[in-house]
Amino acid sequence: MALAEICKISNASYMRPTAWATDDVNELKSYASNFENPYTLAAPPFANPVENLNKIQANADKTGIKIEFDHGTTTLGFKFKGGVILAVDSRATGGQYIGSQSMKKIVEINDFLLGTLAGGAADCVYWDRVLSKECRLHELRNKERISVAAASKIMANIAHEYKGMGLSMGMMLAGYDKRGPGLYYVDSEGSRTAGNLFSVGSGSIFAYGVLDSGYDYNLEDEAAQELGRRAIYHATHRDAYSGGIIRVYHMTKNGFKVISNEDCEMLHYKYQAEKAAQ
Amino acid sequence: MSFLSIDHFSDYKVHGAQRPDFSPYESNGGSIVAIAGDDFAVIAADTRLSSGYSIHSRTQTKLFQLSPLTVLGSTGCWCDTLSLTSLMRVRMQMYEHTHLRTMTTDAVAQMLSITMYNRRFFPYYVSNILAGIDKNGKGVVFSYDPIGHCENAKCRAGGTAGPLLQPVLDNQIQLKNMNLDEKDKPILTKERAVSVASDTFISAAERDIYTGDFVEIKIITKDGIESMTINLRKD
Amino acid sequence: MFNNGIVQPLWYNGPSPGQFYNFPGYANNGNMKQCHETNNSDSTRSTAMITTGSSVLGIKFDQGVLIAADTLVSYGSLSRFQNIDRIFKINDNIIMGGGGDFADIQSIMRSIDQKMIEDQCYADNIAMRPKALATWMTRVLYNRRSRMNPLFIDVVIGGIDENNEPYLANVDLRGRAFSDYVVSTGFARHLALPLVREKKPADRDFTLEEASELIRQCMEVLYYRDTKNSSQYTVGVCKVKDSTSNQCDVEGPFQVDEKWSFAKMVKGY
Repeated sequence: MALAEICKISNASYMRPTAWATDDVNELKSYASNFENPYTLAAPPFANPVENLNKIQANADKTGIKIEFDHGTTTLGFKFKGGVILAVDSRATGGQYIGSQSMKKIVEINDFLLGTLAGGAADCVYWDRVLSKECRLHELRNKERISVAAASKIMANIAHEYKGMGLSMGMMLAGYDKRGPGLYYVDSEGSRTAGNLFSVGSGSIFAYGVLDSGYDYNLEDEAAQELGRRAIYHATHRDAYSGGIIRVYHMTKNGFKVISNEDCEMLHYKYQAEKAAQ
Repeated sequence: MSFLSIDHFSDYKVHGAQRPDFSPYESNGGSIVAIAGDDFAVIAADTRLSSGYSIHSRTQTKLFQLSPLTVLGSTGCWCDTLSLTSLMRVRMQMYEHTHLRTMTTDAVAQMLSITMYNRRFFPYYVSNILAGIDKNGKGVVFSYDPIGHCENAKCRAGGTAGPLLQPVLDNQIQLKNMNLDEKDKPILTKERAVSVASDTFISAAERDIYTGDFVEIKIITKDGIESMTINLRKD
Repeated sequence: MFNNGIVQPLWYNGPSPGQFYNFPGYANNGNMKQCHETNNSDSTRSTAMITTGSSVLGIKFDQGVLIAADTLVSYGSLSRFQNIDRIFKINDNIIMGGGGDFADIQSIMRSIDQKMIEDQCYADNIAMRPKALATWMTRVLYNRRSRMNPLFIDVVIGGIDENNEPYLANVDLRGRAFSDYVVSTGFARHLALPLVREKKPADRDFTLEEASELIRQCMEVLYYRDTKNSSQYTVGVCKVKDSTSNQCDVEGPFQVDEKWSFAKMVKGY
């Protein structure tokens, strides 16, 4: 009997599962569970990952163990008569260290839907990817593009499902659907707000200042694009966590357009020259 | 559910028995540099494996060749590196058996990101850089944060000396803030990429205790991968 | 006997392997304990090493590997079991030395023994090789650490691989593994490793004679300087016998050649 057990001989089940469904393969699948279902992430070996991950890192100065995620920072978006403007910086910081000066903080979910990312870069990019899959499926099922409202609701549902687990996202979803331009703010707390004007990230306070003083619904396209650009520029100037390239996107009824990708240092001298000329 | 532990039986406590509070992570050091050229990619990593002040091995390679066109460099918590890289190898093999072709570097890059994000709430403590030739025959470099944020870059440094090496690469490879005219910019040849990579490591070994012993450099072209090893400081 | 703290602990703040001194009041990463306690769903995890084995030292030579460990298993600072062999013959290709919590080592040895029986049941003339065992150990230990329920062990695995080349590796409690010509655990990492690295010829491997002489020297140094070492040790030898077979033996116990005549020269304590 013992030998039979050792040799894994069992006469109990006549029809055995195929080799594909053995325990080894299942175990392997569990290591990459989100391949089959992107919503299934590995469960941590402790409750409350926010608190416990911080505890693991509490002795960072002695052990050198500090898990720094890339963080994104100043983003803004506003609706006006010509559609929606999105403008973002491109600096990613991991703690004090600038991990990247060329990050893409606007994710092109599809031709009529853009997402901005602030907070944990990996969180935003991963869930935007999941969202883009859901949007495509919606299109295939319903023979029409998903509305911005519905798309943002999917994202808010995801965020709410993982609420309290330590996700860090503050994103704007901008799009154009049959109701016209749409702009929603969704964050990792699960909140979802429609609005005309948002700015998200550590530099948002500076951007709001510029934005509020120059904003008008009836701005011409070029003036609106310049307003977004200038607001981000001022944020990069005063907020240490923002910088790099300033990207401006314009969502119109014909899909999004990339307006500009300019280094904020170049912009600084350009604006200085303009000021001197006045 | 029982809450009883040794603390409730004071008579059974062993004074002086070691109670090492367990941390699942350990920093095992090491650095990686990767540079993408027009039709090649260069990736380099030192070979020192250490924890705290002791050096476990001076000859541990941190470059994992995943396919004839893709090499992954990985440092950080060595046990996480071992697990992640073998998981990548297995998944790539499964892909090969299902689709009868090798995964492209771009596909590997995306898969690595998703694999790492699976452990969002208990991350792999690793710094990854992936280098290779993409499906258009161009050299590419991708760098990752511990939970799988992936960024395409021209050149990237990671690991314990990453913050030390990245500015050198920005200057020498990307020619940032050099104010050079287009015609004055040196062409990035394989030779120049290799020499910059090895120079940065020689300098890093002077200033980072976790980087040293040897630097292993792999030059990836469409014709194959060339390997070389250069001596670094061993103190 | 050891109740309620009236008795002074026998071993208070002494050095532990990998650390030189625990300063009073310095709680090394005291936070993680709470981390375990917050997870009420599993109260079975061990957070302590109780009966411990000290260092293990492995050296590779041109024809095989040597792994040595003393025969002491301590209970705190008490020399609890003085005659326990911590070097194990796994099969004709593999030997293993274990340090850390001895209960955990016995537990993993039971699993390995079971694996070996399964391996023999196949009767296919294919025996497991050291690299396969080391890799398997990384998976077991990594899974345990990922569940925050580690086996507190640090093992050295050595033997002869498929190409008749010697193989020597170390796997620790997190599943961190590496292979080298000399590996060690515990205090030997600080005391023995430099002695071996110093003697390594740049152009060739050690010979059996050189390796065994180094083991002898290192075990002597460890006995003098590691308070949790005894003077008795065993050595596992795994070497190529001929082109098709290998030989593994655990030899000893040997006695450290104690010389205490120098003791009167030591001043300042």
